[in-house]
Order: sequence, then C-alpha cells, then structure tokens
Amino acid sequence: MKGQALPAFATLIVCALLLFPIWWMLVTAVAQPDDLRGFPPVFFPTHPSFAAFHTILFDRPMLRWIMNSAIVAGLSTALTMVLGVLGGYALSRYSSRAVRAAGMSVLLAKMIPTTLLVIPLYVLFREYGLLATLTSAALAHCTVTIPFAIWMLKAYFDSIPAELEEAAAIDGCTPLGALWRIVLPVSLPGLGATALYAFILSWNEFAFSRTLLFSAPENWTVTIGIASIRGEYIIAWNEIMAASAIVAVPIIIVFLWLERYLVVGLTAGAQK
Amino acid sequence: MQARWSLWRPSARGWLGILLMGPSAIVVAFLIIYPLARALDLSFQKIRISRAGAARLPFTLDNYSRALGSDEFWNAALVSLAFVVLVTLFCFLIGVGSALLVNQRFPGRRLARLLVALPWAVPEVVAATIWAWMFDGSFGVINWMLQSLGIIDAPVAWLSQPHQAFAVCTVALVWSGYPFVAVMALAGLQAIPGELYEAAQMDGAHAWQRFWHVTLPSLRPVCAIALVLVVLRVMRDFATVFVITGGGPVGATRSLAIYTYEQAFSFFNIGYAAAVGLVTLLLCALFSTLVVRRSVAA
Repeated sequence: MKGQALPAFATLIVCALLLFPIWWMLVTAVAQPDDLRGFPPVFFPTHPSFAAFHTILFDRPMLRWIMNSAIVAGLSTALTMVLGVLGGYALSRYSSRAVRAAGMSVLLAKMIPTTLLVIPLYVLFREYGLLATLTSAALAHCTVTIPFAIWMLKAYFDSIPAELEEAAAIDGCTPLGALWRIVLPVSLPGLGATALYAFILSWNEFAFSRTLLFSAPENWTVTIGIASIRGEYIIAWNEIMAASAIVAVPIIIVFLWLERYLVVGLTAGAQK
Repeated sequence: MQARWSLWRPSARGWLGILLMGPSAIVVAFLIIYPLARALDLSFQKIRISRAGAARLPFTLDNYSRALGSDEFWNAALVSLAFVVLVTLFCFLIGVGSALLVNQRFPGRRLARLLVALPWAVPEVVAATIWAWMFDGSFGVINWMLQSLGIIDAPVAWLSQPHQAFAVCTVALVWSGYPFVAVMALAGLQAIPGELYEAAQMDGAHAWQRFWHVTLPSLRPVCAIALVLVVLRVMRDFATVFVITGGGPVGATRSLAIYTYEQAFSFFNIGYAAAVGLVTLLLCALFSTLVVRRSVAA
C-alpha cells in the first residue's frame, strides 16, 4: 500500500490536467454571463445558471440539429449493421482469398482523406439529386462506419465457438439460418457495441456533413450547428459550450459505461 | 434435407463467403471505389465545380503540374508535415506516458484507466471549440493561467498570429489523438508476460533497465500500428483545424486537407482539388506501407 500513494497521486494530477477542457466546457455552460468576462475566471461555479441551455434549445434550431443528427446516424448505423454483420461473418467463418481481399480493401478506406472523397461524392449526389439531403450524409458516413464495423464484428464472431453452427447444421439449419438463429442471438453484446460505435462515429462526423448539407440549413447536423455559432460576430461562449455539452455528455456517459466494449472498436482492424 | 446439407459442403463455402461479403463489396464499390475513380478522372480535367457531371473535358496533367509548382501546395504540405511530426510526438509522449502511469498498481486504477482515455469520447468539433474558447484572446482561461504564472505579461491573441494559431491546433489535435495511443499502449503493456520482468530482475536489471529492455521492445508492434493510425488521422484531419482557424492566419494552419477543401468548395477548382487530394492519398499510402513493411520485417 505504501508504494501506491505516489502513482495514485500522480494519476490524479495527470487526469485533472488532461480532463480540464471537459470541466471547462461544463463550467462555461452554466456560468453567469458576467463570469465569462471576469478575471480571475470562476473555476467552481457557486451559482450555476441554466439560461444558456434554455437559449440554445429554444431560441436556436438546436433541437432540429439534434433530430437531423439522430436521423443521419440512425440511417447509417442501420445500413452499416446489415452489411457489417454479413461481411464480418464472411471474414470470420467463410474466409477465402476473395473474401480476405475484399476485407483488406475495405480497410484501405481508412487512408482516404475525407476532403478528397467528399469531392466526387458531392458531384455524384448532385447528379442523383441527393445533395443536401440527410440521405446523402448518411451514405457518406457509411464510408467511415462500414469498414470498421466489418472488422469489429469479425473479431467478435471469432470469439464465438464454431461448434454452435456445427450443432445447428446437424439439426438441419442452413448456413444463413445458423447465422440468424444461433450466432446473432449470442452476439448481441458485440452487435450492440458495434452499432453504438457506428452511431457515435456518425454523430461526431463533420467534414462530410458540412460539405454535403451546408446549403440546406434545415438539414444541418449538430456538428455543423456548433461550428456555425462560433462563426458568428459576437460569440456567446456559454451558449456554444451548452450546445457542446448537450452533444458530448451523452457520448461521454456511454463511453464511461461501455468502455470495455468500445475499446474493441477503437482497435478493431488494427491488429491486421 | 438433402439440399440443406449440401449448403454446408466445403465446395459451397467459397460461394457462401462471396455471397455474404457481396453486399458490403457492392456498397463500398459505389461509395468509395467508383467515387475515387471519378476523383481521378476529375483530376485530369481543368474543371470547375459547376461543370462537373457535364461532358468530359480534354485530358490534361495541368492540375498536377500546377500543384507541384505552386508555393501554396508546398506550404500546405509543410504544414501537414509539421502537424504530423509534432502531434504524433506528443500523442506518443502523453499516450504511452499515461498508459505506463495507470498500468501501475494503486487503488482506483480502473477508474483512472477510463478517465485517461476520456477525451476520445468528445466529438472533434466540440473539442476544437473548447480549445478555441480556452485560447480566446480576450477572456480565454489559458491567457489568465499564463499571466498568473508570469510566463506572459499581456494577453496573447492566439488565433490571429501564425505560430500561435498553429500551436493551438497542435494542442487540440494532440488532445483528441493521445487517448488512442494510450488505449493501444495499455493493451500492449497488459500483454507483456510477468515472467519477463522476473527474469530481468533475476539478472539484476534495475527498474530503468527493465523499462528499456523489456517494456519498450514489447510495445514496439503495438506502437507501429498506433503510429500508422495516428499519422493517418492527422494527415486526414479536417474538423479540428477548420473549426479553430479555418486554415488561417495567412495559411499558417492550412494543411493539405484544408487546402483541398478550400480549393474545391471555396474556389470551386474541383479538378485541381481532386489532384491535391490524390497526392495526399498517395503520401498516406506510401507512409503506411513503409511503416507496416518495417514493423513486419522487424
């Protein structure tokens, strides 16, 4: 116990330093307007004010942005999960040269700069009349979410014993029936973590959304919205930080709660 | 029954794999591969955004020669390189450092492991916005801290001066980037068998020697992967720099990604932007192959 005080103390300091920006976001969001311009800054709010939350939620289109983000993230997550389950299962159980080649080429998507890919996507979506629609953003987000979902689910399926399917085969299941009735039900934690991760990736995405949706303010997502408030002439920092907190806090909570599962996603495909 | 059994035959396996992978392959082909081909095609035309989709313009290499001959392009490449070097360095120092710290034995280390990686959960746009506020020239908390510590005499207008703005973007990129290194390094540390340390101790190795000869070499493979992913992330980053400075002032933070975006969607030079983007992709691919080759060989 004696030698443990030093690392514990050091960790405390390091965490305080590293997490200060999150604390500062929360403090600013509940600050009294006068505190924002006062020195020394107020580090521990004694009289928190929730006026900024009220302003951002009801005087600005924040609720609309949140809904748009949720729709985009929901759509891309749904498509990602269908494709990811099939692709990940193929890589895990039906791996052949062709399947592995497809799996690897999907990984290469991680190298493509978003600012490059968004150029032809912009042109293509304009040709198909999809530009500035939530669908266009959802499809663009899939270029990010599908590659990681395939590899994250492959890793999860690898951890499920193949005997399950062998037993299903003996009981007269088809291979797809075995996937649907036997493998998926026991994979629910992995499926949930992957879906959540895909949702978060899409929720946080900025470059695609900003390019594809910018011309239609009614379709803006939260990330475009937050960036746009900061572009204004007079910056109401407490409002921006309130909006930021609304966007970030749910994800922080999910992360604290499910870190174990999400970290798999953070490193999925990295080992290959 | 007969038909069902035949689906499990080894000869059917290849087809099943292709059938299962097929939908992803088709969607990826439509959303990534075909668009990339279109980008390549655009990069060989002197084309502006309004004309894209109309009849093809004559083949030309102008976009590439213009990029390679322009100061703006090389400036952007230099900015990207500077970001990559500095951000990667600090991500590894902080990431590996914090991983070593929370890998020790002390009460509450489970919570500490969670907290150390927490900035990862903050969306990039939000992180960038927080840093822009903290480095605000008038009421930013960083100016107040530095002034109280006596490091600066007067408030610094961080975002309107080239070097200072570059530093702010670097800090923001490091803050969002180090958690990944920390998580990878921690996974690597936990995979080191305890016997290695015991053996080293038997041989009379000091703590420092154990760190240098056991810990670091064992972390090498994990760090190689993390290196590739961190460098790719910084090379491709758009949100952080765009939100904090938009590429300014006077191009001090205009990385290749920002330059590509600016050319395509502010100046509408879509063919030229595609060329710049493809050169960026080429650099990313070259770098990744080099590191992966080396780490596989080692």
